[in-house]
Amino acid sequence: MTEPHDDRGIELPSPTASPLYFALGLSLLLAGLVTHELVSMVGAAFFVLGAVGWWRQVLPQESEQWVPLQSEAERARPVSPRRAAVDHLTAGEDRHRMRLPVEVRPISAGLPGAAAGAVAMAVVACTYGLVVEGSLWLPINLLAGIVLPSVDQASPEQLRSFHGLAFGLACGAHVLLSVSVGLVYATTLPMLPSRPLLWGGIAAPLLWTGVAWSVMGLVNPALEQYVSWPWFVASQIAFGLAAGWAILRVAPVATSQSLSLAERAGIEAGR
Amino acid sequence: MASIPLADTEPRRRFRSDVLHDWVTTVDHKKLGILYIASGIVFFVIGGLEATAMRIQLAVPENDFVSPEVFNRLFTMHGTTMVFLVGMPIITGFGNYLIPLMIGARDMAFPRLNAWGFWMFLFGGLLLYFSYLGSTGLYGAGSAPDVGWFAYTPLAGKAFSRGNATDYWILGIVVSGFGSLSGAVNMIATALTMRCEGMSLGRMPLFVWMMVIVSFMILVALPPLTAAQVMLLFDRFLGAHFFDTQAGGDAVLWQHFFWFFGHPEVYILMIPGFAYASEIIPVFSRKVIFGYSVMVGATVAIGFVSLSVWAHHMFAVGMGRGLNIWFATATMIVGIPTGMKLFNWLATMYGGRIRFRVPMLFCTAFLAQFLVAGLTGIMLAAVPFDWQVTDSYFVVAHFHFVLIGGLVCTIFGAIYYWFPKMSGRMLDERLGRWHFWLFVIGFNVTFLTMHGQGLLGMPRRIYTYPADRGWEIWNLVTSLGVVLQIAGVLFFVYAVIKALRSGEPAGDDPWDAWTLEWSTSSPPPDYNFDEAPVVRSRRPLWDLKHPDDPDWKYE
Amino acid sequence: MTAPIDGQGNATAWSRGEVGTLLLILAETSFFAIFIVGYLFYIGKSLSGPYPADVLELPVVATICLLSSSVTVVVAVRALEADRRGAFLAGIFATVLLGGGFLAATALEWRKLIVDDGLMISTNLFGTTFYSLVGFHAAHVTVGLLLLALVGVLGVLGFVRKEHATRVDLLSWYWHFVDVVWIAVFTVVYVVGV
Repeated sequence: MTEPHDDRGIELPSPTASPLYFALGLSLLLAGLVTHELVSMVGAAFFVLGAVGWWRQVLPQESEQWVPLQSEAERARPVSPRRAAVDHLTAGEDRHRMRLPVEVRPISAGLPGAAAGAVAMAVVACTYGLVVEGSLWLPINLLAGIVLPSVDQASPEQLRSFHGLAFGLACGAHVLLSVSVGLVYATTLPMLPSRPLLWGGIAAPLLWTGVAWSVMGLVNPALEQYVSWPWFVASQIAFGLAAGWAILRVAPVATSQSLSLAERAGIEAGR
Repeated sequence: MASIPLADTEPRRRFRSDVLHDWVTTVDHKKLGILYIASGIVFFVIGGLEATAMRIQLAVPENDFVSPEVFNRLFTMHGTTMVFLVGMPIITGFGNYLIPLMIGARDMAFPRLNAWGFWMFLFGGLLLYFSYLGSTGLYGAGSAPDVGWFAYTPLAGKAFSRGNATDYWILGIVVSGFGSLSGAVNMIATALTMRCEGMSLGRMPLFVWMMVIVSFMILVALPPLTAAQVMLLFDRFLGAHFFDTQAGGDAVLWQHFFWFFGHPEVYILMIPGFAYASEIIPVFSRKVIFGYSVMVGATVAIGFVSLSVWAHHMFAVGMGRGLNIWFATATMIVGIPTGMKLFNWLATMYGGRIRFRVPMLFCTAFLAQFLVAGLTGIMLAAVPFDWQVTDSYFVVAHFHFVLIGGLVCTIFGAIYYWFPKMSGRMLDERLGRWHFWLFVIGFNVTFLTMHGQGLLGMPRRIYTYPADRGWEIWNLVTSLGVVLQIAGVLFFVYAVIKALRSGEPAGDDPWDAWTLEWSTSSPPPDYNFDEAPVVRSRRPLWDLKHPDDPDWKYE
Repeated sequence: MTAPIDGQGNATAWSRGEVGTLLLILAETSFFAIFIVGYLFYIGKSLSGPYPADVLELPVVATICLLSSSVTVVVAVRALEADRRGAFLAGIFATVLLGGGFLAATALEWRKLIVDDGLMISTNLFGTTFYSLVGFHAAHVTVGLLLLALVGVLGVLGFVRKEHATRVDLLSWYWHFVDVVWIAVFTVVYVVGV
C-alpha cells in the first residue's frame, strides 16, 4: 500500500460521496417503515445512486488521488536521540526491563520433593508415636481422623492399636497432601528470594502450622486432642527441608517468559 | 485512476463550502475518526442533559419537573444514546484515528466502507432522535421511545407499546449497528494486513491489540441484537409471534437475545478504555507496560468469557438453580483477567517517574473507580445478593461506575492525550485540572451515594417517590453532584474551544511518547508518514531516542 | 534476549479482501445463529396448526440445486484464474441458473404453504420462525445471485479479466457460506423440526 512514493506526492484513495449516498439511501429506505412510502422511494433512489457510484470507485480499478507531500517546514522532525539518562531497574542486571525468574525448576520436580518430604515427615511422626506415646499406630490413626469421623469417639486404647481402614485412609491422605504440597513447593520455592531452603524448610512450615493450629478443631478434632505441637512442627519442618532439598537437586529450566506471546501461542515463527 | 493534477500554485483561499465538501466526501481515516468522536461528544451532551433532567426530577420527593411519560422517554433515550450513540462512535473514532497511525499504515483497509460506517451511525442516531418529532406515540403526538434501553417484551410488543416510537428505537439502532459492524471489520482487516515492516503481531501497541479483540466481540455480539430486533420488528409489523406470549411466544427469550448482546457490549465499551489506559499509563510513568503479553492474553480471556455471562442480568427472572450458578460463576471468573490488568497497570506505575498531567490524572482516577465498579460487580454476581438489589439504584450506581468512572474517564484522558496529535494544539493544563477535579468529585458525589439509596431499596426507573422512605437526602446529594460534573464538562468544552483558537502548538511529540503516531507531524498529513516506517520493537520511538539502549535488545 | 531479526511484520498470508470477507461471514453466522436458536426453541410450541410434520416436504430439488452450485462457482473461479473465458462464463451462468432454481423451488414451496395450507407468518409460531429463517436465507441467496449475475453480464461484455479472479473468488466464498447456512437450515427445519 505504501509503494507509490516519490519526492513529490503519494497516492491515496480519492474522496467520494457515494458511501454517504448509500448510507442515506439505506437509512431512508428503513425510515419509510415508520414515516411514509415516499421516504422509502427517495431512499431507494439514493441507494442506487450510492451503489453505482461506489461500484465505479472501485471497479475496474480503485480510484486514487495524488496528494502532494507537505513542504519541508510542515513535515515531522526526525526523532532525535534524547540526552537524558535512563534509570535502570536495579534488580541486578543492566537491563531496563527484567523478566523474573529467569530459571525455574520444572513442576515435575514436585514429585521427588513430595516423596522425600513424605518419608521424612512419616519418620518423625512415627518416632513421636513410638518414643512418646508408645505406639506406632497412634499418629496414623490420628491422621485418618481427617476423613474418618469415628476416630473422634475412639478411646486411647483403640487409637493405639492397628486399624486396616484407618491405615489405608491415612496413607492415602498422606500421599495426596504430600504431592499437593510438593507441587506447590516446586513452583514457588525457586521464586522466593535468596534462601529457598530457609523459606521452604522453616518459614512455610511455621506458617502452615499456624493455620493448622487455628483450624484443627474443625478439620480433625481427634488430632487436636492428642497433638503435641512441638513434634507437629518438627514433622512439618522435616517435610519442608527434605522436599526442598529434593526439589533443588533437579536441574532448573529456563522460563518461556522471555518469548513473545505470539511465539508461545505458535502464531508466528520463532526468531 | 481519477488522478487530480497537482496544482503547484499558491494554496487558494478555501471557502466554507469547500471545507464542508471535504469533510462529507472524505474517506480519510483521520477525518472520519474526528467525525466519529465529535458526533459522539455531541450526543454525550444530549444524553447528559437527559440525565440532568431526570436528576432534577428526582432531587426531591413528589417532584413534578417532568411528567411520568416524559420521564420514561428520558431514561430510555439516555441509555440508548449513551451506549449506541456515545460509547460506540467514540471507541470506533479513536480506533479509526489511531490504528493506522500506530501500525504505520496510510489508511484503513477499506476507506470507503469506513465512510459508509460513519454515515450509517450518524443517520441511525438522527433517525432515533427524529422520533421526538415524527413518531406517533401513545396519544398520536410525537414522542420518543419509552420502553427502556433494553426494550423488554412484552412491553415492547405491539399490544403494550402502541404507536411507532419503539419502531424508531429498533430502526435507529439497526442502522447505527451497521456502522459499528463495518468499523469492526475495518479495524481487524487493517491491523491484520496493513502493518508496516517489522510490526509483527507481538510488537503491535496494546491499543491495537485491544481494538482488534473488541472488533471481534462486536462481530459476534452485535448481529444477534440486530436479529432479535428484526424479530421484534416482525412481531410489530407482520404479526409474527416471536415474543408474543398469547400465541405461545416467550418473552424471556427476548431477554436472553438482548443480553447475549448486552453483556459483551459492556466489555466492548470498556476494553477500549483499557486500551487508552494501556497507552497513557506507561508514557506518563516513564516505564514500559508491565506484562504486555499477559495484557493481551487477559483481554482475549475477557472476550471469550464475556460471551457466557449474559444471564447475570436475569437472575430475578427465575431461570433455575443450575443456570444461576453457571452464570454467577462465569461472571466471577471475568474478574480474574480484569484483576490481572489492574495489577499490570499498577505495576507499570510502580517505581516509575510518574508525571501527573491531565491524561494521567484521568487514568489514575479510572484505576480507583474501576476497582469499585469491579467489586460491586462481584457483589452483584452473587445470586442471593443480586436478588436483594436487582433493579435498584445499586445496580444503576454499579454500571455508571463502569461506564463513567471507567470508560468516560479514560475517554477524557485519551482526548487530553491525543488532542495535540489530532489538532496540533495542546489543551490547557490548568483548565484540564479544573475539569478533572470537578468532574471526578462530582461523579463520586453522584454515584457513590447512589449505592446508598439502592441499598435502601429505591427501585430504578421510578419517576418520583414518597417522602417517608429515607431516600430524600441521598437523592438530593446525588442530584447535587450533577452540578459539579456539568461544571467540569463546561471547563472541558472551554478548554477545547480555547485550544482550537489560540492553543499552544503541540509539536510532533509533546509527551515524549513511544508509539508511531508521535513520529509524524501534528496534525498528521493525509498520507500519515512521509516514508513508511520500519520498527524493530514495541516502542519504535524509544529505539530512535535511545540508540545506545534500544528496546529490541530485550524483546 | 538477543537482537531480533527484522522480519516482515505484514507477512500475513491473508489479503484485506479475504480478511474482510471472512469477517463478514463471521458476523452473518452470528446473525443466523440467533434465528436458528429461535427456530429450535420454538419447535413444537405452536398453539395451533398447521404443524411442520403436516405441511413440510423435503426440498430435495432445491437442495441439489444449491449444493451443486457451489461446485459450478468453483469451476468458474478456477477457469478465470486460468484465463479460460468460455469455461468461466459457463460456470457463472450455471451457478446463476442453479441458484435461480433454488429460489424457484422455494417460491413454489411458499406458494403451496400459503395458498394450500394457509400458513402465514402470523398464523402460529411455526409460521413465524419458518418464514423468518428460510426467508432470510433466501434473501441472502438473492443478493448472491444478483452479484453473480452482475459478474456474468460484465463477463459477457468482456470486463471481467484474469486480474479480477481474486474478487470473484471472494464472491464464491460468500456463496459457499450461503450454502453452508442452507445445510444448517435444512437440518433444523426439515429434519429436526418435523
